[in-house]
Amino acid sequence: MIKQHSGVMEMDKLNVLVCDDDTAIVDALAIYLKQENYGVIKAYTGKQALKALAEQTIHLVLLDIMMPELDGLSTTIKIREEINIPIIILSAKSEDTDKITGLNFGADDYVTKPFNPLELMARVKSQMRRYTALGCLASSSGILKTGSLELDPDAKELRVDGEVIKLTATEYGIMLFLMQNMGHVFSIDQIYEHVWNEPSYSAENTVPVHIRRIREKIEINPKEPKYLKVVWGIGYKIEKC
Amino acid sequence: MDTKLKNVKYSPGAKITAFVIVWLCAMSAAGSFIWWVYHQDTKTSESYYDTYQFKNEFSVLVHNAVEYNVELKSETNIKSSGDAEDSIKNELQRYYIIKNKLSNTVNFAYYLKDTETEEIITNVANEDALALIQKQPSVVYYDQWTSASNNHPFGGDIAQMLTGTPYQFYAAVIEPLKPGDVFYDHSIKFTQNKALSSYVTFVLMASIILMIPFFIYLVIVTGRREQGGEITLSFIDRIYTDVHTILVFIAAIISLRIASAMQLDNEVELFIVALVFGIDILIGLSYVLSMIRQIKGKKLLKNTLVYSIFDLCFNGRAFKAWTLLLLLGYGAVNGMLFALAADAGGGFVGIFIFLIIPFNIAAVYFAAKSLLSLSQIMQAVKEISTGNIDHVLDKSQITVTFSRLAGDIQSIQGGLKKAVAEAVKGERMKTDLITNVSHDLKTPLTSVINYVDLLKQENLNNDKAQEYLGVLEEKSARLKQLIEDLIEASKASSGNLTVSAVKIDLHELVMQACGEYEEKIKKAALDVHINAADTKTFISADGKHMWRIVENLLSNVVKYSMPHSRVYINIAQSDQYGLLTVKNISANPLDIPPEQLTERFVRGDVSRTTEGSGLGLSIAQSLTNIQGGRFMIEIDGDLFKVLVEMPLWLD
Repeated sequence: MIKQHSGVMEMDKLNVLVCDDDTAIVDALAIYLKQENYGVIKAYTGKQALKALAEQTIHLVLLDIMMPELDGLSTTIKIREEINIPIIILSAKSEDTDKITGLNFGADDYVTKPFNPLELMARVKSQMRRYTALGCLASSSGILKTGSLELDPDAKELRVDGEVIKLTATEYGIMLFLMQNMGHVFSIDQIYEHVWNEPSYSAENTVPVHIRRIREKIEINPKEPKYLKVVWGIGYKIEKC
Repeated sequence: MDTKLKNVKYSPGAKITAFVIVWLCAMSAAGSFIWWVYHQDTKTSESYYDTYQFKNEFSVLVHNAVEYNVELKSETNIKSSGDAEDSIKNELQRYYIIKNKLSNTVNFAYYLKDTETEEIITNVANEDALALIQKQPSVVYYDQWTSASNNHPFGGDIAQMLTGTPYQFYAAVIEPLKPGDVFYDHSIKFTQNKALSSYVTFVLMASIILMIPFFIYLVIVTGRREQGGEITLSFIDRIYTDVHTILVFIAAIISLRIASAMQLDNEVELFIVALVFGIDILIGLSYVLSMIRQIKGKKLLKNTLVYSIFDLCFNGRAFKAWTLLLLLGYGAVNGMLFALAADAGGGFVGIFIFLIIPFNIAAVYFAAKSLLSLSQIMQAVKEISTGNIDHVLDKSQITVTFSRLAGDIQSIQGGLKKAVAEAVKGERMKTDLITNVSHDLKTPLTSVINYVDLLKQENLNNDKAQEYLGVLEEKSARLKQLIEDLIEASKASSGNLTVSAVKIDLHELVMQACGEYEEKIKKAALDVHINAADTKTFISADGKHMWRIVENLLSNVVKYSMPHSRVYINIAQSDQYGLLTVKNISANPLDIPPEQLTERFVRGDVSRTTEGSGLGLSIAQSLTNIQGGRFMIEIDGDLFKVLVEMPLWLD
């Protein structure tokens, strides 16, 4: 029996299923999610999660990997057989291979414990927007898009999950150049020459500083960027999704 | 008492005494036995006249007397016989010899009667010569029909001479014997020896009877120090038994030679023979006892030279000595072939071409094959010693001589592999342990971080509570960092990380890193100077790991540098390496040896009040090493210098 606090709004609310064998974590997450005005359904094993999914309308799942009865990865596969809602994995396993496995099994995001609760909420919101706004935005001509990152050259606007990001002229120039050549890696010198339109003397670290600032604006976790990626020792690129 | 007796029984003194007794008995027994054999004639004869010696001498004189009186008769008779000159001369010579011999004998008497003429010839002056002669125990009678041979050696011959003659012949030695001829001398000796013989027989018997128990005693106790004890072999037993046997035989032959060369008619020679004989018995006795000890110790066959050579050549030793026999054989065969070729004359070339050349080619081929095996083994040992423990030594290509060596090396290699595998496994287990513990720490830490954050939102109207929350928040973040560093350090140091080396511009990387750290550098009030060579420095490295190295160095710089000081980052390149140098001035005095700083959990500030896990430099060093680079720290007063060398990218 899942009891919801604000019974009237129940149907309008977006429901999040939180599944972790650690009750303290589930409780804390429930508090954060309720603050963001989500409905929360709690589960402590993979089986309970599947049962809850069968019984109720759920819009997003937060799932631990190491759980009794049915582990997170198996649960992810079972959920994916049925429904296409966003799944965010929460795990203490922080290896690259663990993340790759989780994402390949059908998860949409992978957050390692211990996580920053605010970052996790940002990721939940991002996934939720993508899920609910699906198909409502027709991409007009000239708009450069990767994932939920959009650059509109006409409006000179950069949007993430539909929200407009405030950029300086230089920052916008860098983003425009990189998004026009999505997936391509450019060195500091190349970016400087294209954006500043003058030869680079490579003495300054202007470009890296600008890029870090852009990342801080558009990325949920700037240290693990999703869009604007650092290719160490080679340059920078916008990931093509 | 009983034990005492036993102790005496096995004591060396008793053994030596018994040995001497046996030796003496053997000598006397052998001596008396030889005497006994020598005087067999005396022993078996009742009287002197029964001895063969007497019969022989007597018969010779009878023969002489008959020949002298019946055939030769007188000088004139011989000369008028009408025989050939030579024959006459010969008969005359004999006539004088016999005449001389007959006149020299004093005890020999004969009586010859011609039955036709009744003429009597005798050397007895007595009236009744015949009666005197017939009275003697040694009397013999011959005529043309009667041969009173009595087993006289020349009886037949004598009878033949009397055939067809009318003579009757009597002969005897007249008793009592008078001194002056051999009969007298020999009869005296006979009487002496006859008296001695019973004593000698007694000595012989007594020696044998005495010797047997002592000999049996020696057989029982030899080689043992106590009853039922271990067999101890004496120095004489170290001689190979076959060699010992041959030596004993040689000694026997030599002594026989010596003995046979002696006339035994004077005291010196007798003494020499006795000495040789005594030594022989000594050698023989010690030989027999030695053999008995070896049999008791079950070493009779093993202690032979033949067995030892066989053992040396064919038993499982690392080095097969029989290969040396091959060398000998090779030389011998070659020598034989050359001798054959030299002997063959015209066929020399044929032998040379068809035997010597192919034989030597074959020998060189097999020797080369062995040497090749050896060089293969040496190569394998070299490979293994330089760390390539997976080097395969193909045993099928190794010759028989070295196959055991090859096998041994393979088993050493196997042991080494096992040890390395276990070391790797141990290191991996350690890493796994750290990783697992860290995972278990992470889950509760998640709750701590979350609830600290939730508590912050609770609008506590209490400044102290807010301050405490701040501390909690900071420390939980620190804990999180520590756990992550710990995992990374254990992975990096165990080499449990994948490295995908790509072409990286070191300068670009430093610029990017400084871009990331720009804010922190500003906050620490540092002035960073980047000096790069004109040309780009491309190194071969994994971008992520390289970033982690530079990040750790920058993080160190930001944490520990003296505020308002300058930080120098130099990028250069040597022949093989791209060089990255980071120099900064430490805020606190550095009284720690540089090599200690890269150990885990060692920090520049001993008080550990500043943030940081003490793993940064350790991680940086491990990451540098797994990418094939070198990491060095220099401390000069407050100047802290890190040098990272990474292999250059080779197109």
